Amino acid sequence: MALSKEQLLKVYENMVLIRRFEEEVEKYSKNGTIPGFIHLSIGQEATQAGIIEALRETDYKFPDHRSHGAIVLSSHPEDRKNIMAEIFGKKTGINGGRGGSMHINDLKVRNMGFNAIEGSTVVTCLGTAFAAVYTHTDDVTAVFMGDGTLGEGTCHESMNMSATWKLPVLYCLVNNQYAISTHYSESHPQKQLASWADGYGVPNEVVDGNDIEAVIPAVERAAVRARAGQGPTLIEFMTYRWQGHFSGDPAAYRPEGELESWKEKDPIKLTKTRLMAAHAVSDNEIKIIHDRVEHEIADYIQFSLQSPNPDPEDGLKFVYADREVEGRK
Amino acid sequence: MTRILTFSKALNEAIQQEMEQDEKVFIIGEDVAKMGGDFGITSGIWKRWPNRAFDTALSESAIIGLACGAAVCGLRPVAELMFADFIGVCYDQIINNAAKLCYMYSGKASAQLVVRAVTGGGIRCAYQHSQCIEPWLMNIPGLVVVAPATPYEAKGLLVSSIRSNTPVVFLEHKGLYNTKGDVPEELYSLPLYQANVEREGRDITLVAAMSMLNYAKRAADEMAKDGLSCEIVNPRTLFPLDKETIINSVAKTGRLVIIQEGPKFMGYGAEIGALVSEDIFEYLKAPVRRVTSLDTPVPFAPVMEDYVLPQYADVLKACQDVMAF
Repeated sequence: MALSKEQLLKVYENMVLIRRFEEEVEKYSKNGTIPGFIHLSIGQEATQAGIIEALRETDYKFPDHRSHGAIVLSSHPEDRKNIMAEIFGKKTGINGGRGGSMHINDLKVRNMGFNAIEGSTVVTCLGTAFAAVYTHTDDVTAVFMGDGTLGEGTCHESMNMSATWKLPVLYCLVNNQYAISTHYSESHPQKQLASWADGYGVPNEVVDGNDIEAVIPAVERAAVRARAGQGPTLIEFMTYRWQGHFSGDPAAYRPEGELESWKEKDPIKLTKTRLMAAHAVSDNEIKIIHDRVEHEIADYIQFSLQSPNPDPEDGLKFVYADREVEGRK
Repeated sequence: MTRILTFSKALNEAIQQEMEQDEKVFIIGEDVAKMGGDFGITSGIWKRWPNRAFDTALSESAIIGLACGAAVCGLRPVAELMFADFIGVCYDQIINNAAKLCYMYSGKASAQLVVRAVTGGGIRCAYQHSQCIEPWLMNIPGLVVVAPATPYEAKGLLVSSIRSNTPVVFLEHKGLYNTKGDVPEELYSLPLYQANVEREGRDITLVAAMSMLNYAKRAADEMAKDGLSCEIVNPRTLFPLDKETIINSVAKTGRLVIIQEGPKFMGYGAEIGALVSEDIFEYLKAPVRRVTSLDTPVPFAPVMEDYVLPQYADVLKACQDVMAF
């Protein structure tokens, strides 16, 4: 199902935005400005942007550690600079700098954040889906998981329970081929990981994760089923991360030529070609989009660089909802 | 009106009365609905509220994970771990998820769930159904560990745990389920984070939680025959601990005996001892004594289990020792 020109333009801009976001994160991570480690989703933009495009703001979203893109696009435009500031560990960070790259959340838009343990949110997401049913709303829950996540026992518990109780869960299995260095064919018996859901009687499909016009309708189909009380769906998005597992990982475990062949399937290039060929979008229109994104990203970076560090004592806040924790004396 | 209830019935009444009050409260766990729980604590609830009592697959991670997710949506789940020992299979959800969510969400939401966990030894069930797991949880800021000792506390503390906006692991010592005591019929709550001075005294402070409280009371009665008075402090909430009540008591008595079921090494008795030596060393008249289980798994055969668990005679001896020092 092809998207309208307007929608395709919108998601194109979104993909460019999150590509540029990640490139800047990489730059400031490599030069030591951003502390800690980061996981980039460059190359996976169609999956990231497509999933968020297909969901409502009121749907619960559990992004994973490689989901800066989905996180940025979930939040309101005015809050996106605070996401960058969070990654920089600044006081103006969307979570006060307490979480950083791996824990970004924004409850306003029901980005429930990532508990940075693989497979952990795969069971937590049962709770938001359960709450939607318990309180009679039709909000669905989308949980991001990778090919590596599927090795965790919680995936079994989660799918067993969501399928039995017909909970509105969308298992978004982003198959970017590698769990750090291990290719999924070396750690799982299924040729296509989606078929893992067959054992639970859960509908599943495999989608070209680099084609946003395939991603969006697949997520919409799953959401429709979930909202109608028909239970969970698993979608496997076939894609590829261009970078190593973390920024700085040279990814020497990949066969020669593999990255290059996936770069041929660059989701942004693919969409741009379609915009120009099928919708007669001009070079100038494309340039305007890119300029707008550059401006936006420059704002995020300037804001993050200029923001103050958190006060050390900010680390004492919010340990408990109803009591304070002692600081250093 | 107050009447005599068992510890089990007091817990059941707490859950039912909270469910009457607040439709956000629901129960979930293995066999908690139709059967009413392995120990019968949730009996009758499914009959009254078939849509608020959920039997699950044997999936502790899914149970606690679901409870966390539902809690941040504003519901108040009461999840049961049939045996506290099973916490191993859902530990991640408790320590990395429940305990961290308030921090992660900057206080905008919190995992306001209760995990009821059946703890402790003495019923000849050996090493995977008899452990005291409290120290496994007391090094995790963000968690609350509640440990009632009497039916009165069981009801009042469970009510406050359900109402609390923090994740509570609520420990139910299986040796206490059939004990009886006065319990008000009406709904009431007891404050979290506050120890209770069960008995005032001037010579020795006895710190004892859950089933160990009875040993403390017996030992205090026995010491009284020699004209010595023991002050008994029952922490009620083990973590975060009410340090002040313990410190104040030891500053007065100058002697401290901690009675703690569970292995000695790195048990909470060690923390209480360290606290006292750090803060009020100059008040101590005798070394701090700990009466604990031995550092072994809990064995099955009754003679072995009794040998490993702390016994009343050990408590009495520790009291005599600190007085003789």
